[in-house]
Parts: sequence; structure tokens; C-alpha cells
Amino acid sequence: METGHRADLIDPAILASLGHIEVVSRWIVDGFLSGLHRSPRKGFSVEFADYRPYQPGDDLRFVDWKIAARADRWVVKQYEEETNLRATMILDVSRSMEWRSDTNILTKRAYAEQLVGALALLLLRQRDAVGLIRFDDAVRTSVPPRARTTQWRRIVGALMESGGGRASNLAIAIQQAARLVTRRGLVLLVSDLLVEPEPVLSALRGLRAAGHDVVVFHIMDPAERDFTMTGEAQFTDPESSLAVPAAASDVRAAYRETVTEVVAEWREALAGIGAGYELVPTNAPYSLPLRHAFAARQAKP
Amino acid sequence: MSFLAPYFLLLGGAAAVPLLLHLMRRNIATKVDFPAARYLQRAEQEHSRSLRLRNLLLMLLRVLLVLTLAIAAARPFLAGFGVGHGPTAVAVVLDNSLSTTAVSDGAPVFTTLRNAATSFVEATTSSDRVWLVTADGRVRGGSREALLAELSRLTPLDDAGDLPLAVRRAAAAAQGAGLPARVIAVATDGQRSAWTDVRHVDVTTSVLVPTGTPPRNRSVLSLDPDPALWTPRGAISANIDAPDSVGYRLVVGSRTLARGAVSRGEPIQLRVSPPERGWQALRVELEPDDFAADDARYAAVWIGAPPSVAVDPSAGPFVTTAVSSLVGDGRAAVGHDVRLASADEVTALPALLTPPADPVRLGAANRALAKLGVPWRYGAMQSSPALARGARVDGIAISSRYRLLFEGAGRSDTLASAAGEPWVVSGPGYVLVGSRLDPAATALPIRAAFVPWLADMIGLRLGSQGGEVAAPINARPGASVQLPAGADALESPSGSRRSISSDHATAPAERGVWFVLKGARRIGALVVNSPAVESRLARETAEQLAPRIAGTRAHGTTSVAQWIRDGLAAGSRRPALVPLLLFAMLLLAAEALVVRTTRTAAA
Repeated sequence: METGHRADLIDPAILASLGHIEVVSRWIVDGFLSGLHRSPRKGFSVEFADYRPYQPGDDLRFVDWKIAARADRWVVKQYEEETNLRATMILDVSRSMEWRSDTNILTKRAYAEQLVGALALLLLRQRDAVGLIRFDDAVRTSVPPRARTTQWRRIVGALMESGGGRASNLAIAIQQAARLVTRRGLVLLVSDLLVEPEPVLSALRGLRAAGHDVVVFHIMDPAERDFTMTGEAQFTDPESSLAVPAAASDVRAAYRETVTEVVAEWREALAGIGAGYELVPTNAPYSLPLRHAFAARQAKP
Repeated sequence: MSFLAPYFLLLGGAAAVPLLLHLMRRNIATKVDFPAARYLQRAEQEHSRSLRLRNLLLMLLRVLLVLTLAIAAARPFLAGFGVGHGPTAVAVVLDNSLSTTAVSDGAPVFTTLRNAATSFVEATTSSDRVWLVTADGRVRGGSREALLAELSRLTPLDDAGDLPLAVRRAAAAAQGAGLPARVIAVATDGQRSAWTDVRHVDVTTSVLVPTGTPPRNRSVLSLDPDPALWTPRGAISANIDAPDSVGYRLVVGSRTLARGAVSRGEPIQLRVSPPERGWQALRVELEPDDFAADDARYAAVWIGAPPSVAVDPSAGPFVTTAVSSLVGDGRAAVGHDVRLASADEVTALPALLTPPADPVRLGAANRALAKLGVPWRYGAMQSSPALARGARVDGIAISSRYRLLFEGAGRSDTLASAAGEPWVVSGPGYVLVGSRLDPAATALPIRAAFVPWLADMIGLRLGSQGGEVAAPINARPGASVQLPAGADALESPSGSRRSISSDHATAPAERGVWFVLKGARRIGALVVNSPAVESRLARETAEQLAPRIAGTRAHGTTSVAQWIRDGLAAGSRRPALVPLLLFAMLLLAAEALVVRTTRTAAA
């Protein structure tokens, strides 16, 4: 990967064709981080970062006495900030996520897995504990949050597992996440949200009540947003078997209007419970959701 | 509304396609995976009213479009739509009968009528079908230009033609064209006698009878030589129709034989003995007037030397006396060419044969007849009174006669009959009478008709060519005629020779005497005269004539412009193809607009 090209800005389908999720995730995160300034916030953590002159009020425990003895000046050791943020990613692997409108773009699930891999790596590099829950009509995988270096491989391994149950049971997955994350932390939900909103919102409300920050990544195929289908057909939901006969050209405008409404409703409902919301088309580069997640992370102490 | 291709209306059934597609939309077989179907369902529920309205509008537009195209394909015609006239089947009947050669207001009526017909044809368009029908019933079709050229070449007929027939043929042509508008345009001089036998036609008809009064006409209505063969004396009688006295000239061949003047209603009767021999043309001419075609009339006569006659005493005293009278009158001569005798006394032909005075000689008479080759025999005596039936002898009493029995074969004519049986018969070289020419057997010898009858028998049946001279043939121009056997050419009035291929021929258009030739010899004459009825120039007005041709569907006028307008008004149902196509394009545009509006909103 050339350093001149940031992987997080490359078309996801092209990127996916270049390597394994583990490798690609690294490129994405590397590219993403190279586009950021290093965090100026430094704290008193375990890894040394720099010295600064002592100022009245500084904790005397961090004064470097050896330098004070040798140079007769008081300096305070600074460490890169390290928190023990616990982030849990909830990934929807239901059948609807297997869909794509065009072979030139990723399925929603492939895109979401790549995104989750990149997010996990990003958070782990921040020395956060990262966990993963995969679900469809039931919880398929549950990786508790850890900050170990081996956690990345566990998550990547979990992403390789199969899924694709008939339906999405997002509420159960959220409840499972609540059980996994006992401390206040960050919950990242990655789903196409083709579910009934109320149970999901109710479950998310519980997470928020427990003090978790929640960010929802709404994965959407471009055709689901713009309804670029053609001709007349029975448009069938593979999960619910709901079939709607329609002439694409006839209902396209109405459909787009409805999708706009749905997105607005999700955004509004999630904002109402203090959760973040990001609509992520599967043809969009990863930098957008990553930036959103990073911002959410940065907002945490 | 009418249609040029009504079968295309069946395409209107295709309107059911968008209708069915609309109604059967819920039964679409194609299935497409689409996880966000719930959004689609919600969209349809939330926008059902506008979607239904839009779909209904699109369906209506598409159904209307298909129907419009189907109607357009059927080539409809609507009244009062557009300009000009729709495709019309026009049959122009141009009266070019002989009467149209009359000069009226300084110009021949034919010229006026032809100019009018030319204007009519010029007013037609390439989408019309036009025929030109002349008074002889001949129908000419073709392009407008071809008909105009045909009109410029057209000349008047030498005959009356048959205008009612021409109209019927014109109607048939127009009706068979398959065009929605059909019209007959008749341009005629309105001659009353030409329109006597008119049958209604079921076609819109426009009749033009130009203004102007027919000229004061003088005409020779008839010319009859008497007898048909002159030996050499004969007579002519001619009837003249003239409003006042008129001068005439009788011409034999190219020589003026007599001149004179007759007053109104007076016939011309002349006895002549011209020196010419053989077949001769006779012509009676009047002073010229504005209708020159009937100023002369023709006849033909065979003129020969008087037959020489030998009367046997067995023929009886009345025959002897009558022949003496004929000889004295120059209509017969004393000689031996023709014999008149009792059958039993005759040994050679030609002869006029009577029964023997003595019934005992009847057998000898029959043997003589057989010997002479006469196919008739005398049978039993019939004493019951009877009346004769035949030329010149009609009604003459017969008190006794022998039955005439036909035996053998051969050509024979029955010249007179009695009680339904032959009484006077004739054949090559003989005339056989069933009774003695004696008042005891028949009243004929004591009747005035006896001498002329005997002159006919001698002159026409027995004299000259021995009865082989055929009577002249009288015909109208263009009529079918049977010429004498062996004829191979006709000699025109100007002397030119025209070969013929068979005895059946068509009388030439040129009026006059056409001699029938066999080699270089004249064997007969064909006399071509126009019908006398053409001389009656009295006219009907257009208003009188039009209803007689087509009832209420006819318009009569004296104006050429009005005539053309009336004629082409039948095609006032104009083609609606272009407006319908424009309407279809509007529908397409509307349909595209509805679709595009939706797509724009979607974009």
C-alpha cells in the first residue's frame, strides 16, 4: 500500500479486493490516523511521553527526582493518556445484510465487517478494550471487551464466522451487550436497521440509562437509499418474505421520500435518547464512519 | 366519420394491453430480493393516493394513445375538418354526343363542356381517383395528367351515345373505388331526348348544363330510296324538320341530281332515273346551320338497267298487261332475262312461276320445278278463302291456292303467306306463287299494288343480279353490323379502302355511305347516319335534369365553378389522420411529462 494513498478514502469495494480484512483494516486505520493530528492531551498514564516544568499544584508523585537531583530543576513526567474505555461493537449479520444491489459494491455485511475491523483496530490502538457481538435472529458471537494485543486477532477471527440467520433481533443483541459491558463505555451498533424501531430504541434507552455512549451506524446499500431498481417486480424482503409489487419508476420518488423520512426518524429518535447516528452507504469510503466513531471516542474521558 | 381502412380499427383492441397491465400489476411474476421492501410498502401506503392517481392518469393516457393510433391507422375522415377535400372517387361524365357539336353563343357546346370537365379534373388532387366517361359509355381511368391529355384529344361522337349508360358506368366506377367520397360530375348539353331513359344512381351527382339556347335547327330526319334497287328508275322520299322553308339538294354519287325547296313539314319526294349504274351513294343536303351534323342524310341504292322480261301466255292476261305497263314505264324491257310463266312451261331460271291453269298439269309443273332445282312443290288445292300477309300484298283476298311444300334443301324466303302457310316464296332465280295471278284465284291482279309488286319481283328478286344484290345496311356510327358474305373491305365516303377481317364489323364513326367491297367489286353498301333523334336539340335545365339522375343527392347548376364545388363537396369529409397523429403526439408528450415529473421528483 502506497503511503501516498489513504486507504480510508478508497472505494470500499476496491479496497476489499486488495487483501484480507485484517490487512485492509490496518491500512484503513493507518490511513485514517495519518490524517489526524496526534492527540495533544497527555495525562498521567503508564507510558512516558515527555517532561514539563513543575508547576505548583502538580502531583509530587510525578516529579522526576533524578533530574531534580542532577540538574536542580523540577520537572514533571508526562505520560500518554491511557484510559480503560470499554467499547463494544454490535454487528448485524442477518440475511438482509448479505444483500447488495450491484456486484461492483460490497454487501452490507462485508462493508460492515470491514468497518468493524477497522474500528476495533483503531480503538485497540487507543488502548481501549474492544468487544464484539454478532447477531442475527440470535447472538452468534460474543467477544468480551479486552485491551490486549491478542484481542484484535480474536475479533478478526469472530468476523470470519458465519451468520445470516433469517431475521434480525437487534434488541436481544443490545441486551447482550449491556450484560457484557458492565462499566460505562461506548457501544457501536452497525446494522441496516431493517427492524421495528421501538424494541431497538427501548433497548438502546437501557444502554443509555446505564451510562453508555451509543453510536449507531446505519448501513445502507445505495439502491436501498435511491431505489435505482428498474422494471416491474415483486420486491421481496428475504428476511420477512414481505413482497411488494411495484413498478420501480412509478414509486421511486415516493420511496426516496420515505427513506428520507425513515432516516430522519431514526436520527431524531436516537438523538432523543442521546445516541449518535450515522448513515453509512456501502459505497462510501470508511473515513466517514471512522471519523464519527473517533469523534465519539474522543468525547469520552 | 368514415374510414378508408376500417379494419385497422381492430388495433383498438390493443388498448386492452395497458388496461390489463394496469389491472394485473399486482400479479407480477418477477421476484426481486430487496431487503428494504418495508420502505417500499410504506412508500406505497403513504403515497397511495398520488400513486393511484398517477397510475390511473398514465393508464388513461396510454389507452387513449393506443385508441388514437388505431383510429389514425384506419384513415378516418371527418366532416368540416381541415381544408381542401378528402380523397374522392370522381367520375366525370362528359357529354360528347353529336348534339354537343351545335354552336351556341358562338362556340360549340362541346368546347364549353370539355373546358368545364378539364377544370373539374384540374381541381382534383393526387389523393382522388378520377375517371372520364364519355357519352358512348367508354370509361377512361388513369392519372390526372393522363386524363387531362385525354380530354384535350377528345372529339365529339358521330352518334347520340348512351348517356344514361355512361352515368351508370360512372357510378359503378366511383362506387368500386373504395374511397369514402364518391361523386359523378355530369357535363351535358341537357338534350332532352338523350336523357329519356335515366335510372337513379346512388351516388352524389353534380350536373352542369351550360347556359345558352339551342340553335334553330334544320335537319334531314330521313331519306328513303324506293325501291331499294333501282332498275334504273326509283324514288326518294325525305323528311325535313325545319322551322321554315329550306332549300335542299339531292346528290347521287358526287353529282347533284336535284335541287329544290320545301316548306315546313313538307316531305321531299322525287322520282328519278339517274344514269349511274351499280351501287351509288345518295345524299340530301340542307342549307347549313349552327348544327351541321344533321344537315345531310345518306342512303345507298343499287341502280341497274331494266330487266328484260318474257311473258308466257300461261302466266295469264293480267301478268301480260302488267308487264306491258312496266315496259311502257321503262321499268322493264322486252327480252329473255326473266320469264313469267306457268311452272310447267318454264325450262330455265330466272322466272316468276305460277301454278298451271289446268290442275292436270300440276304433276308436270312439279317435275319442272324439280328439274329447275327449285326446292318447292305444289301440293293440294286449298279453296277456303284466306287473306294474304306480306309486303305490298297485305290483306288481299285469296280464294284458291295450292299449298307450297318445301322439299329438298336450299335458301328460300317466304315473301307472303296465306292462312299461315307460304303463298309466295322466293329463292335464287325464282319467285313461286301459290295461286294463279287471276281474279278467280286471288284479288291481287285487280289491285293497285299488283304492278308495283310485280315490278319488285322482277326488279329486286329476278332482274339484274338475279336477286343477288343485297339490300343496303343502315346503321348508327359504332353499331355492330353483319356485312354480306365475302366482304373483305369497306370503301369510305372519300374513296379510301379499309380492310375488314370478317363479316361482322363495327359501323364506322364517319357518317356517309361505305361501300362493301369484295375484291374490287362493290357488293353492298353500309349507310351510316346519326339517329334522327339527335336533331331534337330541346334541352332540360340542370335543375330539371339533376333530380332525374340522382334524386336528392344531385345538384344542378349552370356555373362551372359551382359545379366543381358541388362535386367536390362530397369529399368535404376531410382526412383526420394528421390531427389524430398530432393528438397522439400530445398524448405521448403528456405521458412523458407525467413520467418525467415523477422521475424528476425522484431525482
